[in-house]
Amino acid sequence: MDFNYLWSVVRMILLEGVGKTLLLFAVVIVISIPLGFLVTLLSKCRVPPLRWIANAYIFIMRGTPLLLQLVFIFYGFPIIGNSLASAFHMEFFRDLFQLERMNAAFLGFSLNYAAYFAEIFRGGLLAIDKGQYEAAKVLGFSKPATTMRIIFPQMIRVALPSVANETITLIKDTSLLYAVAIQETINVAQSIVNRDSNILPLVVAAAVYLVLVFILTIFFKWLESKFNHDKPKKGRKKRLASPEQSL
Amino acid sequence: MNMIEVKGLKKSFGSLTVLDGVDFSVNKGDVVAVIGSSGSGKSTMLRCLIDLERASGGTIEIQGNPLVKDGVYVPEAQRKKAISKMGMVFQHFNLFPHMTVRQNLELAPKVVQKLDKEQIRRDSEEQLAKVGLSDKADEYPANLSGGQQQRVAIARALMMKPDILLFDEPTSALDPELTGGVLEAIRQLAEEHMTMMIVTHEMNFAKNVAHQVLFMDSGKILEQGPPQEIFENPKAARTKEFLSTISK
Ligand SMILES: Nc1ncnc2c1ncn2[C@@H]1O[C@H](COP(=O)(O)OP(=O)(O)OP(=O)(O)O)[C@@H](O)[C@H]1O
Ligand SMILES: [Mg+2]
Repeated sequence: MDFNYLWSVVRMILLEGVGKTLLLFAVVIVISIPLGFLVTLLSKCRVPPLRWIANAYIFIMRGTPLLLQLVFIFYGFPIIGNSLASAFHMEFFRDLFQLERMNAAFLGFSLNYAAYFAEIFRGGLLAIDKGQYEAAKVLGFSKPATTMRIIFPQMIRVALPSVANETITLIKDTSLLYAVAIQETINVAQSIVNRDSNILPLVVAAAVYLVLVFILTIFFKWLESKFNHDKPKKGRKKRLASPEQSL
Repeated sequence: MNMIEVKGLKKSFGSLTVLDGVDFSVNKGDVVAVIGSSGSGKSTMLRCLIDLERASGGTIEIQGNPLVKDGVYVPEAQRKKAISKMGMVFQHFNLFPHMTVRQNLELAPKVVQKLDKEQIRRDSEEQLAKVGLSDKADEYPANLSGGQQQRVAIARALMMKPDILLFDEPTSALDPELTGGVLEAIRQLAEEHMTMMIVTHEMNFAKNVAHQVLFMDSGKILEQGPPQEIFENPKAARTKEFLSTISK
């Protein structure tokens, strides 16, 4: 095994590919989780048209492949921009719809993931007992205080495992950038494979994803343990009770 | 002025009439036990009083403030004011599971009443001591027994300094050996002359602690009076029947 070669491959993939992967991941998480919250609130809102919009949004985003959505934004948007520009004689539209590649990726991924997060949060809300709302009401809490102090924290706890899953899926979905010809981890790895006729870069790419997923898994385990108050601490009691473990 | 005044209270769910003209009043310091068979409308009646359920007709006044008048509800701000001195304890406790016992007690005084922090801390310690749970202040509800959780729920309600407390079957979700502590806490409140309405199946407790007993049947109050009268000398045939089935 040629360690110098391995090192050069690892360097290339980390420097040229993983950066884009991580950037996309970070931006999408930061945008799509709050946006998902917002869509959840809209889908529960008292004004019916707002509810319809939220539900249609979730339906379309979850009902079509992310890749199709990306292709639409990458290649369809400029066409729409051109048509609008000539229809209204305003060049402004051409620029508006001509997104820079990475920005287009941020937009497509964020819109798509926001729909999934919205659905997860909505499930979290459904899991909350109506007694919680009643207790809050008889104690005099206002609606916003009830939502922020009592409902949201419990909703997050319920949603956390699904959020973890979705986040891990996102790390792997970033590889869809490959299909729209952005230099990300797999893209870089493959160009080295072509150059050197050696499959080692693919193994390195796999290792990169595994490490990222591993870190996320550990992080979410820790986060879940912070929120797990509504399960009794059985483990602790058992340990105290069994003599051979107190050694 | 009566603490609670109810006239002609009606409630239906769709075509099902659950309350069919309920009249009663509760004086200051009274402990009123509400008994009756399952489905007779006890919980619905209690929930109407504290605005958790919408009455279809009738009048409810709390401490002279109308909540609903001849079937017409007052605006939300006035409804909030009318029920602001009333607390409720639920069958399933409804503690906030993501907060410690202390946080459960202190959140409403902090957020709703915006009281001073130290004042709140003193109150919460006093209330926990009263229900004998001072050592559980930093536990989460999931680590308490049902009886302890219900005592926390009572302490939480008392933090708001209510003038009236409503209890909907406070011991029905508990194992029999855990009901004692909860009933004792309620008995203590009765000694302090707290005005209370308690829906219960604990007939002995009703006999010993209540000043008034309401017997409900099919959405109506069929009979009411002091416990001796209702339990020793029931007039209506339905009351007799109910009492005989429950004592078996
Ligand atoms: N939200 C609701 N929707 C429809 N029907 C309801 C609702 N809540 C209660 N009911 C019905 O109203 C009737 C009275 O219910 P309620 O809970 O007041 O009875 P209860 O006297 O408290 O009985 P229990 O002793 O079993 O608690 C029942 O027939 C019940 O099925
Ligand atoms: Mg009931």
